[in-house]
Amino acid sequence: MSSKNEIWIWAEQRQERIEPSSIELIEKGKELAELLSSSLAAVYIGGSGERIEELFEYGVPKVYLLHHPELVLYQGGPYSILFSRLVAKYQPQVILMSTTYLGLELAPRVAALTGAGLTAHCVDLFVERHKDGHILVQVVPGWGGNLMVKIVCPERRPQMATVKAGIFEKPQRRPGASGEVVSNPVRLDELDWRVKAIELIEEEEDRSLEEADVIVCGGWGVKGAGVMDDLQKLAETLKGAVAGTRPLVDAGLIAENQMIGISGKTVNPRLFISLGASGASHFTTGFLKSKVIFSIDQNPNAQIFEVSDLGIVGDLKKVLPVLVDELERYMQSRG
Amino acid sequence: MDFNLTREQEMLRNMVREFAEKDLAPKALELDNKGEFPADVIKKMCELGLGGTLGKKEYGGSAMGHLASILSVEEISRVYPPAGFCLEGIHSAIALIQNAGTEEQKKNLLPRLIKGEKIPCVGVTEATGGSDPSVMQTVARPEGDEFVIDGRKVWITLAPVADIICFLATVDGKATAFYVEDGTPGFEKGHRADQVGLKSVPIGEFAFTGCRIPRSNMIGKEGGGLPAALTVFSTVARPNVAAIALGVAEGAYEVALKYCKERKLYGAPIANLQAIQFSLADMSTEIEAARWLCYYGVWKADQGKSVREVAVDTARAKVFATEVAIKTCVRATQLMGGYGLSPEYEVIRRLQDALELFPAAGTSEIMRVTIGRSITR
Amino acid sequence: MRLNIVVCIKQVPHPEHFHEIKLDPESQTINRRGIPAILNPPDKHALEEALQLKERYGGTITAVSMGPPEASQIMEEAYALGVDRSILLCDPLFAGADTLATARALAIGIQRLGEVDLILCGTHSMDGATGQVGPQLAEILGFPFIGFVRKMEIQERGTVLAERTIERGYLKVEGSLPLVLSVTKEINTPRLPTVIGIMEATQKEIYTWDTKELGIDPALVGIEGSPTRVSGIFERRLSRKGELLQGDPEEVIRKAIKRLRELEALR
Repeated sequence: MSSKNEIWIWAEQRQERIEPSSIELIEKGKELAELLSSSLAAVYIGGSGERIEELFEYGVPKVYLLHHPELVLYQGGPYSILFSRLVAKYQPQVILMSTTYLGLELAPRVAALTGAGLTAHCVDLFVERHKDGHILVQVVPGWGGNLMVKIVCPERRPQMATVKAGIFEKPQRRPGASGEVVSNPVRLDELDWRVKAIELIEEEEDRSLEEADVIVCGGWGVKGAGVMDDLQKLAETLKGAVAGTRPLVDAGLIAENQMIGISGKTVNPRLFISLGASGASHFTTGFLKSKVIFSIDQNPNAQIFEVSDLGIVGDLKKVLPVLVDELERYMQSRG
Repeated sequence: MDFNLTREQEMLRNMVREFAEKDLAPKALELDNKGEFPADVIKKMCELGLGGTLGKKEYGGSAMGHLASILSVEEISRVYPPAGFCLEGIHSAIALIQNAGTEEQKKNLLPRLIKGEKIPCVGVTEATGGSDPSVMQTVARPEGDEFVIDGRKVWITLAPVADIICFLATVDGKATAFYVEDGTPGFEKGHRADQVGLKSVPIGEFAFTGCRIPRSNMIGKEGGGLPAALTVFSTVARPNVAAIALGVAEGAYEVALKYCKERKLYGAPIANLQAIQFSLADMSTEIEAARWLCYYGVWKADQGKSVREVAVDTARAKVFATEVAIKTCVRATQLMGGYGLSPEYEVIRRLQDALELFPAAGTSEIMRVTIGRSITR
Repeated sequence: MRLNIVVCIKQVPHPEHFHEIKLDPESQTINRRGIPAILNPPDKHALEEALQLKERYGGTITAVSMGPPEASQIMEEAYALGVDRSILLCDPLFAGADTLATARALAIGIQRLGEVDLILCGTHSMDGATGQVGPQLAEILGFPFIGFVRKMEIQERGTVLAERTIERGYLKVEGSLPLVLSVTKEINTPRLPTVIGIMEATQKEIYTWDTKELGIDPALVGIEGSPTRVSGIFERRLSRKGELLQGDPEEVIRKAIKRLRELEALR
């Protein structure tokens, strides 16, 4: 198959390990490739590329590899130029990156250098007929999540999008799978080194919400009923992460980086438990893609129940301790 | 007739609102519970220039005027009335010194008060009565180039933390304004009052026993104390207290309104019920009426109208706004049911604060005397 | 070492009023009329950083915005905070711009300012929330860029040392001036304008430049210059209503756990 009009994803790496948020792009990338009669490829820029087989194992058929020891850390100027040169050479029709701190910089820089249209924080991507071909439609939430906006790039190519991390499924991993590597040379002196990353410093962070399987999230009602301890016990029991809404941040019960919602994090765990949150849209938009949503609130008319697979109407003070007990017993019985 | 604020006044209001919501709101409950003078808050307010809206530029003020000064008091009081009340005390002292003081006194005192480096108070009320200053018993006896002061003042806002204490004492039976610096021998601060509301505003007494102060501490003319004090009451203290009351009423109303919109009974928010809407409508109407009375009086002052003219309108504003504040807070607590009686939900504390506003800067009865005398003259 | 700093700012609808923004399904446009507008909160951190740098090193601060005439309000607020010059790029031809077209307009405006050492932006705007204008502006100007800066220092030899936020940590980055930075809210606490600042702000002139004055080809800006277009807007319906349990806690919890297992929510 010709290398033109491919669907590309950026395989972001940290110390040569592929970021899970990039893996999330693979399924969607493949789906789009199929709909657009094309194929998927990943672009990897790093120090050595010693672990790119992980991409093949997750189903990527081809990897464009650019490596040099000086590129192990993200270097904004060099990465942007190298990526853009690849775009000029191979002319992909779609490029997807994740909304990581680095993706949110690299995508716009590449878009500016290539004149591409770029849509940020997409929550969905699909294909529609356009003129005598097809076009990528990018869906983003607007104005607090009450309105969804569809965006297209009618003329310019590639069509670029940053995809909200935590939206799409990670694909199945098939150990031992292999694929095509297209290596491209890197000449340092052709790159822009006016800004240089010198060191990566890692810091402690609470169990990352984006990667948690189970999230227990408290709202205003948790603060009011004073059941934060029970909430934490529930999270411990299910080996899940603790999260909350703005009132809990303000009350000092959770940190800002544990907040869920339009101005916080978007998550899609296997199980999302909402306690004492009424379910306003700027909150629910943060977890609507969770596999199962289970809510407890004392108000039978709370909006949260409209988006829950299972709900309990009750007083948190009475219900939570029983829930924790029963779940402890259940988890123990499973061994 | 242009009811719009000037762009500067609008920007001021926005700035103070942001300050109140970001810096005061999170601390309000804690400060009330502690009941301590919020010195940090006052310092921050002065750094932003809120103490100097009446002060002339040569003393470090902005001379924005009376309407600007009560807008800032109103916005602060929407969120944390005690800070508004402290600001009133600062405004009144600055006005007294600026209106009646000598150039030297102004140069010496005003910059420090405007910056918030020193805290002032103005003491008129005595145990024998605040509403009747003619029976003042604090005496200033001239002795050479000094005055010797004997007497006692009670219920004075900010007295327990004040550095510069302005007060009235009689010289030859005629009330005269003076100031004394804290620490002067013969001057002693007394008991701090225990209040049901405005808990973190320190209100207390002080006493003079043979306290000697230099002649240069007399503010204005000998015997000119009452006119000077009345000017400050009419143009600054009353409108400020009225603005505090307006802010208290607005704050309580907003909390209650939000509650009614969210609280559901019979499948819908209670704000949909006519009875609740009528209650909210009355609160909203009274608040607007209070607002325009408050703004009108000080607008007249900014226009340069005479003190006598301004005094009637500020008296109306004060009596009306303080009574609206009480009514609004009572209604708000009723609308919120059980939550209305819990300190964490604010409105009950607002009611307590509103009660403290009745006797401040002149009781409602005195306001009615002022208005009645003026209209029947 | 004096620094000539440019801060890019934007006026956005007040986030607390977002839910009032209505969609007209027929014309597929949004109605923003009557919604109060404010200075984009992330931009306040950029302004604050500029003010602190000026206090330390001397120099000038120019606030630049691309916006409608009403955006003069935020240009005034920038004066109240202490910037030296406020410039509003305003022209009906700028309307409908996506981030690339916006970055182009800003770049042309900034190029008129003469020597610039540092351009500061917020990480994103509360309405569009793309965060793309800063980096795109840098590429168009040919300046290097450092994004998500949570701490920065100007070093003696005129370079910038920055902490560039990433997940679970940061990159230590060094850059030579001139450059473009986007700063996070962790970098500082924005000051409020003082009363005197407000009084002086309304006396200052806001420079308003249109496409003619800037000599811009209209094809590069506004809707014409935007590679992306909005193809539709729809309101989102939430629907996932499942079973609602009520009653005796013990009984209810037992039913709930059974249901969760059925849904494969528990492992």
